[in-house]
Amino acid sequence: MNVHQVDPNESKYSASATAFRANVDRDLANDELRDNFRGAMDYLMDKRKNAFPIEDELETLREKCKLIKQRCLLKLPQLLEQLEANLQRNGIQVHWAESITDANEIIAQLIAQKNGKTVVKGKSMVSEETALNDYLEARDIECLESDMGEYIVQLAHQHPSHIIMPAIHQNKKQVAKLFADNIEGFEYTTDVDALIGEGRRVLRDKFCHADVGISGVNFAVAETGTLCLVENEGNGRMCTTVPDLHIAITGIEKVIEFLDDMPPLLSLLTRSATGQIISTYFNMITHRRQEGDKDGPAEVHLVLLDNGRSQAFADEEMRQTLQCIRCGACMNHCPVYTRIGGHAYGTVYPGPIGKIISPHMLGIDATKDLFTASSLCGACGDVCPVKIPIPKLLLRLRKESVRKQSDGSPQIMHGQGAGRKTIEALLWQGWSIVHKSPTLYRISMFMLTRCRGLMPKKIGPWTTVRTAPQPAAKTLHERIKARNKATTQGAK
Amino acid sequence: MATISSISLSARANILAKLKKEVVGADYSKLPPEPDYIYPDLTHQEQLAQFITHLENNHAQVIKTDLFNMAHVVTEQLKQRDIDSLLYGKNSQYSGHIEAIDSSITLSDFDFSIDKDNSAAKTRLFYQTPAGITGSRCSIAATGSIVLWPTPQEPRTLSLVPPVHFVIVDAKQLYSDFATLIKEQKWQQNLPTNAILISGPSKTADIQQTLAYGAHGPKELIVLLLNS
Repeated sequence: MNVHQVDPNESKYSASATAFRANVDRDLANDELRDNFRGAMDYLMDKRKNAFPIEDELETLREKCKLIKQRCLLKLPQLLEQLEANLQRNGIQVHWAESITDANEIIAQLIAQKNGKTVVKGKSMVSEETALNDYLEARDIECLESDMGEYIVQLAHQHPSHIIMPAIHQNKKQVAKLFADNIEGFEYTTDVDALIGEGRRVLRDKFCHADVGISGVNFAVAETGTLCLVENEGNGRMCTTVPDLHIAITGIEKVIEFLDDMPPLLSLLTRSATGQIISTYFNMITHRRQEGDKDGPAEVHLVLLDNGRSQAFADEEMRQTLQCIRCGACMNHCPVYTRIGGHAYGTVYPGPIGKIISPHMLGIDATKDLFTASSLCGACGDVCPVKIPIPKLLLRLRKESVRKQSDGSPQIMHGQGAGRKTIEALLWQGWSIVHKSPTLYRISMFMLTRCRGLMPKKIGPWTTVRTAPQPAAKTLHERIKARNKATTQGAK
Repeated sequence: MATISSISLSARANILAKLKKEVVGADYSKLPPEPDYIYPDLTHQEQLAQFITHLENNHAQVIKTDLFNMAHVVTEQLKQRDIDSLLYGKNSQYSGHIEAIDSSITLSDFDFSIDKDNSAAKTRLFYQTPAGITGSRCSIAATGSIVLWPTPQEPRTLSLVPPVHFVIVDAKQLYSDFATLIKEQKWQQNLPTNAILISGPSKTADIQQTLAYGAHGPKELIVLLLNS
């Protein structure tokens, strides 16, 4: 296959995020990959635009949803407790996990308690975050992705390149070849209906026999103790209905206070993501199987994952990161994402949202290149359905990345200061001293203009595509002084 | 390795402590007012037209009929597809009318249970059931959605596993939008085990943004719209 991506054996995303620059070079040189992303992003941008015909309506909804999410975050600890109490009342067990290892271990033990050997998984980015498939496979538990896109990605030993459309980096020819190479008896065809039909055939059998179903959660309603799932394929319903054991996993920020908070968020989510006024299925789970029911899981569990979210929560500005409803609109509209694709980031969440959430999960040291890869054009912030000021947060992270460690500044983020370079820090220190003293400023400007010939021809990355800048022969002060003198003389 | 409860208990304490520390003294009475989002005020006929249009745009087939002709319509649709059996729920809301179906169609009751130990029933449902029929609770005009609250008579998988899903929708039970529906029916007080909104047949655009129907759920959604 022409698409070389993240190492299949790699479950530690932090290792690949540090290779961001090399990944970018690799993927920018891949024309097929770039075509696939360009086509997909144009399609998704168009779909979203058509889903919001009235600008005022969109703005009212965005403001409403932003305020809903901010209210729910302000009440987050109490809502989590309320959610837990109501879910337990409904017969759904709740487990808490601080780290990805916590979450994986809880899930592995829940499966082991039932002697589970086969798992079907609905689309869940949080389970990608924990690299759950690898964890379970190492314990001899088969964990099969059932969303068509995720299934393709898993078959190719890759990771999703987009949070909504995981296999967006592949075109139908690549998928056809993948199927022909990996599925016995499949005859090569690029007919999409036939390809989907093949995926359906393989996965039906898995749905029918799997011991466990794992899913994500789009909204967890505290008021009623309800797990809401948005999907089009029906695999989410299969995973949450057919196996005896259903385990849902989600981040702590997905809780909402009221059932009434859900409809506007749902409307914005599907329209921002794929331009659909609603997804084919909206699945609301409030109880495990009840007495007399003929189907549904006998046990339902929810795993609530922190993994760096509480760190983002602790800072009021960065808390806005947690407003995210994972629609993917920011990546669809990002000029950087469109060009480099989702795998170059080396993180579970790519694109603009990935740049601001990943540093909390992996530390700034592992992600310090990500938030510098932005032109700050602002498209992500403009389309964000919950108005996360992504460009502002990118700047904030750049600041945290170079924060001085020795002066007793507060510990806000794991790995803060990792992007600090001594020479850069010294230069700015000098800049600051010079600009505070008029005499020093004049002397240094005089020296700079007079020594302009000493400017090196090559100055790092700046000159890879540009010529080096040269200071003017005289300072602005000098020139204005000279001009004023000339006009005064002229007036005489 | 630690047990589930020991991992969870300490994680719970730590997470909640971290979060609570940050919102100590938060004044919830001073939250900014959230703007109302109001759907356009449409007449029932306009809403019905909207409902049908959205469903058809999403590739569902909508057939207007009534209780007395319904069984005939279903028979015709099944014959067109060379299907000779239909799974339904005995003693469900419309079962009496469904039972009026043509005798050439084998009507069978969802009288089995989908359990780990009942692989015969699972196999039957997954591989030997070409079509299923269910009623519905109500529907939503703004998004063209049909609301199902599955019951022991009409279980969750009846509207999910068979490749063709017939769904009976009473036009009188049409709501403007989801928010209004939740409010008027006071869902907060009585949510069922599973509530589901269905807005078309199962689909995916996961391969090169090309829409394909029948990803994992029904390939066809046939809406029997009872219009009085």
